[in-house]
Amino acid sequence: MDITYIGEWTWAASLGRLLIALAFAGGLASTIGYVKSTRSGDPHWLSLGRWGFKVQAAGIFGASAMLYLLIFSHRYEFEYVWKHLNDAMPFGFMLSSFWGGQEGGFLIWMCWILVLALFFLRRNPGRMESPVMAIHGGILTGLSSMLLGLWFGDFQFGLDPFLLMREAPQNAGLPWTLNPNYLQVIPQFADGQGLNPLLQNYWMVIHPPTLFLGFASTLMPFAMAVSGLWLQDHRLWMGRAVSWAFFGVAILGAGILMGGAWAYEALSFGGFWAWDPVENSSLVPWIVLVAGAHLLLINKAKPGTAVTATYLMVALSFLLVVYSTFLTKSGILGDTSVHSFVDSGILPQLLTFLLGCCGLFCTLMLAPGRDRIVFGALQAALAVGIAVIDPALCTLGLLLVMAIAVLRGHLRNLPRTDGESPIWTREFWMFVGGMLMFASAIHITFQTSLPVLNHFLEPFSGWFEWLHQSTGSALARKLATHDLAPGTDFDATYHAIQVPLAFLFICITAFTQFLRYRSDSGKGLFMKLLRSLLTASVLTFLFAYSYDFHAWEAPRIALMFACLWSAAANFDYILQMLKGRYDQAGSSIAHIGFALVIFGAVLSNAKKDIISQNRFGDLAMLNEGLSNEEDLLLLQEDTIAMGPYYVSYRERRQEGHHAKFAVDYFETIPAEYAGGQVVSNEGFLFQCIADHAASPRFTDDLEEHWTFVPIPNERQRNTVRPWSAGRPGPFAFTLEPRIQLNERMGNAPEPDTKRFWNRDLYTHIKWGRVSDPEADEEGWMNGRKHDLMRRDSLVIGRSILALDSVSAVTLEEKPDYGLLDKDLAVAAHFRLTGNGPDTNFTALYIVRDSLLIPDMVALEDRGVKIRIDGFRPAEATFETVVWENLSIRRDFIVMQAIVFPQINLLWLGCLIMTGGALMAVRQRRKTLRRLEKKDTA
Amino acid sequence: MSRFNIVVILLVAVLLGTLFSVFTQNSESVVFARAFSEPGVEFKVSGTLDPDHPVLYDPETAVAETRFHMRDKTGQVHEVLLKEAKPTGLEQSESIDLYGKVEDGRFIATEMLMKCPSKYNEESHSLAEATAAGN
Repeated sequence: MDITYIGEWTWAASLGRLLIALAFAGGLASTIGYVKSTRSGDPHWLSLGRWGFKVQAAGIFGASAMLYLLIFSHRYEFEYVWKHLNDAMPFGFMLSSFWGGQEGGFLIWMCWILVLALFFLRRNPGRMESPVMAIHGGILTGLSSMLLGLWFGDFQFGLDPFLLMREAPQNAGLPWTLNPNYLQVIPQFADGQGLNPLLQNYWMVIHPPTLFLGFASTLMPFAMAVSGLWLQDHRLWMGRAVSWAFFGVAILGAGILMGGAWAYEALSFGGFWAWDPVENSSLVPWIVLVAGAHLLLINKAKPGTAVTATYLMVALSFLLVVYSTFLTKSGILGDTSVHSFVDSGILPQLLTFLLGCCGLFCTLMLAPGRDRIVFGALQAALAVGIAVIDPALCTLGLLLVMAIAVLRGHLRNLPRTDGESPIWTREFWMFVGGMLMFASAIHITFQTSLPVLNHFLEPFSGWFEWLHQSTGSALARKLATHDLAPGTDFDATYHAIQVPLAFLFICITAFTQFLRYRSDSGKGLFMKLLRSLLTASVLTFLFAYSYDFHAWEAPRIALMFACLWSAAANFDYILQMLKGRYDQAGSSIAHIGFALVIFGAVLSNAKKDIISQNRFGDLAMLNEGLSNEEDLLLLQEDTIAMGPYYVSYRERRQEGHHAKFAVDYFETIPAEYAGGQVVSNEGFLFQCIADHAASPRFTDDLEEHWTFVPIPNERQRNTVRPWSAGRPGPFAFTLEPRIQLNERMGNAPEPDTKRFWNRDLYTHIKWGRVSDPEADEEGWMNGRKHDLMRRDSLVIGRSILALDSVSAVTLEEKPDYGLLDKDLAVAAHFRLTGNGPDTNFTALYIVRDSLLIPDMVALEDRGVKIRIDGFRPAEATFETVVWENLSIRRDFIVMQAIVFPQINLLWLGCLIMTGGALMAVRQRRKTLRRLEKKDTA
Repeated sequence: MSRFNIVVILLVAVLLGTLFSVFTQNSESVVFARAFSEPGVEFKVSGTLDPDHPVLYDPETAVAETRFHMRDKTGQVHEVLLKEAKPTGLEQSESIDLYGKVEDGRFIATEMLMKCPSKYNEESHSLAEATAAGN
């Protein structure tokens, strides 16, 4: 029985699905047409391919437009819209709700691929058209199959972006799904769930589309490489692919760093890069693409050089994009990521797609004919084995077969380096640099993929166990437990390998441009580099000195030197060698940008300074327990020293889905200390040597201005004052770190950053209340237990409650307290000071006939109530409960503040690098067009 | 043998060396029983927050100390002292990785990773339940 649902856009669901199905079918037709056309050159097949492509493009663009239509019309009957949109979201975030989920991610990825393919077709592709477009057709068909949303029993084939809520599996069979009126009756459909507030950040409007454009741009070089293998023409495609590859380098690089900027601004993990699997999996394709693009340049200058490596790098950059899609969308990463991804149910499909792309490439590496058939069949058999026999073993086998295929292709099929290159040539060092980058990519991939590797280790567990038993090898035991995880210490896990590698390949970017292709041009190289070497040495020394680097940081200093040298040398190259021909300078500019990115990243991370550790003044004196390395507790309206500032937590207020904590910053007027003055610092006494103004930190002054006083005399003990850096001066600025009120995922802190030209002050809330604490109608909060001895004190609101003395209640005093003669009583004499007149009062611990008589003392006007619940005579300790009234309560936050020096160099470097790479692309296009004109003329 | 091949072979050798060192360096992932049998050794222990015990965090007495109970993969529950301010979303976490060691009969964690409900993939149980109740 068909139900006509009232007010539901049933037609939109059908149309959307039709468009996806059309794209899928068009893709199949396009693939078949172009494949046949490549093999036979028959124009009929070619026109089938072209028409199929048009249908496919129409389907994907149409489906995307349809999804946007649904988003802009707020059609909450659609699951995708309901999940990622609500009425409160402004226009910008409506745009980003499109890629809030995986379905939209696939759509935008395909849209970019189509746009790039259209550019490719417009530029007279000639013989390349059929094979390149056949690859595109196949890839796009695979991707659009991820959106088909078909179910074969329990097996899901694709995610349907046009799924109606009532059709969602979790709602299947619920009675309301049969109610034609459900949209009107059920209030939940009036508004959506909304995009996760964490993603409601302006970077999320621009970062995903840029990143997806970057991902899409790795496909064109891949398709060209595969075409080269297919046509067995290893020269034509390489010339064409250069500018596409560098376009990808520019866009993907920018996209990755935008992700870093988002993390820096919206997530509170204390920086822009956390070596997170999701970040890594977009970084690795970029690194490999850079290596591949440079190998293409080598081949342009000296055809037939390192052909296998060129094919591998270019193809791997795309395959790694697919692999990263697989890693992040399949749920296989489990709990190793701060971004977490739930298995979306299309793991088998993603895996098939990934293995299909890898298999296609590896098979085509072989010579046409028998080799391809044998290896293709072997791979197909193993792929079937993954599904039906043993996933781990068969995948291992498949990888092995692929590796053998590539090796065999290298030995038997592809041209090998013909002429030997002398050492001091541009192509040799570019090759070395590319290989070093590849090594760095492998290391990162390996660390990221450890959770995947565990799956492969599992079947060998018994064998490793045996090895461990017989040899006692700890490594074998580790492998036997097959539960490897990347370490949390970034220095050991990543930096120990990445820093030396980066040092090497950045040094290579410094001098390689001064070399010529093909001819030994090492003579005079040193003289050409002298200026930049000197500049870099001086700058490195200055930075190392002013940022107080130590000898053990030698690797970092070396890397910083490499970056400065590379920047200086590339700048010098523009002046010395290009002599102002700026249109040629793209590559040098891109190198400068890259060097600045790494320099900014290294310096800002190495010398990041957590200034929220310093504690002076009131708070530290009041409560010893507050001392802590990284976090600062700020009571409302207290002004305390933090690094070079005084800070004061002014107020909390709610704006939208944020609780904002306004923290005022004041300049510090340094304290003046005179010779002979005695101060205490962390329990030790020091005497001042000569008059001076205090630095923000005591340790900075210690050596020069203070002598330690081991045994203070009477005078020194009487005049001692706690050391303080100074007093708050004029108001400087306000920062408002936030806590995002996120019902779905729990509240999340968001930082607020003050930017200076040479540093950032980055602050975020570690703990804070987003609403007032629970209290009864009269405003009394839950009581807190304290064990108090004589001379102990408590901070309550703005007052201090001190237990001055303890006395036994004598027989004479008992009537005054209203006690019976037989009662046993101990009196605790308290004093409440601050925020009002000093008040003395007494609380009693009373035992009558071995029963405890509770004695509540309430100072209502001061907002304090106290009751003694127990007394331990041996320790002379009272067990007390203290109540505090909301009226006197002071709110507080725990905040962390980090200074990142020179972080702006990183963002500046990103802009320069992207700009430089795009300049190089433009220049390359120009030369290509000039060559084409020459050819036709 | 061309120079290019030598470069590649050198790199492969270096990489194999580093990969081996990666295997030996990574922190070992264990269950509580193992960590308690070797006190003082750094381990990674994974598990889930035990909801039967409260999460204790009192910034006024110690800014960077959080106490809670974790249930490891074998079902053992132990009190854990985390030397950090209470991370937001701890109660919502789906799983927890702790890095730390046993000292004085207690697991003291210096670092913690949490897996929280996905940012990207929300199951819309809430609507299913709400609407089911509304009908």
